[in-house]
Amino acid sequence: MTAFWDIVHLLTGTPLVFVAIGGLIWGILGGALPGISASITMALILPFTYTMDPAQAVALLACVYIGAEYGGSIPAILIRTPGTNSAAATVLDGYELNRQGRAGEALGISLMSGVVGSLFGLAMLVLLTEPLSWLALAFKPTSYFGLGILGLSVIASMTGGSLVKGLAAAVIGLMIATVGTDPISGVTRFTFGVPDLLSGVEPVLVMVGLFALTELMSQSGSSNFSRLKDPVRIKLPSLAVMNRLKRAQAIGCIFGLFEGLTPGGGGSIAAFMSYNEARRWSKTPEKFGKGSEEGVAAPETANNTVASTTLIPLLSFGIPSSNSTAVLLGGLLMHGLLPGPRLFEQNPQVIDSLYVGSLIAIIAQIGVGIVILPACIWLVNRPRPYQAGFIFALILSGIYTLNNSPFDLGIALALALVGYLMRIAQFPFLPMILGVVLGHMVESSYRRSLVLSGGDHMIFLEDPIAVGLLIASAAFAVYSLSREVRDARAIKLQAVQS
Amino acid sequence: MNKDLLSGLVLLLIAALYHRATGAIADSTLSDEVGATGLPRVLAYTLAGLGLLLVVRSLLVARRAGYTADPESQDARLPRAVGFLLFGAAYVAVLPLLGYLVSVALLIAAVTLFERAERPWAVPIVAIGGAALYWAIFVKLLGVHQPVGSVWQALLS
Repeated sequence: MTAFWDIVHLLTGTPLVFVAIGGLIWGILGGALPGISASITMALILPFTYTMDPAQAVALLACVYIGAEYGGSIPAILIRTPGTNSAAATVLDGYELNRQGRAGEALGISLMSGVVGSLFGLAMLVLLTEPLSWLALAFKPTSYFGLGILGLSVIASMTGGSLVKGLAAAVIGLMIATVGTDPISGVTRFTFGVPDLLSGVEPVLVMVGLFALTELMSQSGSSNFSRLKDPVRIKLPSLAVMNRLKRAQAIGCIFGLFEGLTPGGGGSIAAFMSYNEARRWSKTPEKFGKGSEEGVAAPETANNTVASTTLIPLLSFGIPSSNSTAVLLGGLLMHGLLPGPRLFEQNPQVIDSLYVGSLIAIIAQIGVGIVILPACIWLVNRPRPYQAGFIFALILSGIYTLNNSPFDLGIALALALVGYLMRIAQFPFLPMILGVVLGHMVESSYRRSLVLSGGDHMIFLEDPIAVGLLIASAAFAVYSLSREVRDARAIKLQAVQS
Repeated sequence: MNKDLLSGLVLLLIAALYHRATGAIADSTLSDEVGATGLPRVLAYTLAGLGLLLVVRSLLVARRAGYTADPESQDARLPRAVGFLLFGAAYVAVLPLLGYLVSVALLIAAVTLFERAERPWAVPIVAIGGAALYWAIFVKLLGVHQPVGSVWQALLS
């Protein structure tokens, strides 16, 4: 009953409604801009949440994520350019529907399928997160060390490309996390006499530098996106159409749930997998690729489901499985909130706010999605040079709000250069960000374990949870390595045959 | 040079510099078994190992398959990307001197022109409008203490 009144209070006594709708609008606008992914949209607003109430800040970020997933489908349908990676599958049939003069219908199907996926994802989030988080109560410092290593290993292994590069990026992230004051003895490390480095490098700077600034640098000199000339109005699907799409949406929900729970899964994989399965189970598979309504519904349901279900491992164990959840974790840590059962016990208002805020955003998405479409089209149609100038100014202004420090700007710019070089050399960003975010937990739990054992490393083998997590880390690394070797052999074989 | 080979060498260099910097970490009486230098040294050795692995692998792959140059698209855009970033560095430099309003207007104008805006005559108008908008949002609405500018303060005093 208390929880019910808490929710009533959240709905009436705080500006949560405004926060949720504001986040949703920001997310849709950001997601609609090609090249600005959901994580970049979240990273852009992250510095502004610094002074906000923690519960509202976390809700805002979650609502931005929800909005960005829908926003990404707008340019995918209208100009054949996905706004976010996870909207890439929507291009296949969404743009075909647009070519047939049915853009309004495609946008309506995308919007309503997104709402269905988001509601299902939110229900799973509410049902699964808290019970899973109680597992973490059995965790000792040794288990937390194992969990940190598992998180880094999984992300380094699953982000695609080379395992060695993924691990190297994770180690560099851990190195950045060691800058500042040592968590146990209090001595300073790698500060080089610079007072601004005493408190370390804030994860938000790494996220904004690597995600947002690096993307702007990469897009420098690109030409304008295709212009949309005709006015488009969203046409919401009728009940009969929704009934016809229920199979595709159910498939999207299932893959969205599965991929959201899988580390390194994410909305893109869920969208493509559900697109393929929807075609396989469809009564009219021949329509796929030629303007199938199910071809829009399945991927849009899936990527919107992922926006909620990917929060389950994050809130339960503190392990982000995607770029967007890494930014959300950054938001939690910025306000001193540690995911896990203690978050549910000590800060239930944060969880309630996240759930209720997400629900408000999902419901509001139907109206906001219709109203905001002209603004999205206007934004996408702005010349790219102006977009670049305004986004760059917004990022730098936002970073300054963190500590009113030009030093932070310098750090973010330096990290952007590092990010660009990493992109050239094909090093993934996420393991590095995760290294920065998890570095403190990994080091302090490792050292606390050794303090308890008097320096004996056998303590890690005496904790079955730690052993299990470390074995799982090794298994992920071995699997990734074997996949890499197999892929290399296949490429070699292909080269010989051709 | 092969990109992976270069990356491996850079990782080795970072590991060496980082390891060297651990020597400057002071001892503490509060220190535990591992100490403040423990994890950093492990990280340095791990990164060196990974760098070495990348070097060896890139040499083996280059010898087996015959080295072919990677597509130059991202590399060729490096000078332009760095140029873009330099506007950010210039913004950081002029911010305390010229203040937020003027600096952000200059930043928007410079980046827009650098990105080859089609109607350059419109750039100053858009830049001033954009700066006024951001100033209203950050300074007036959010109450962020953005720098006023030492130049203007000196002129007014």
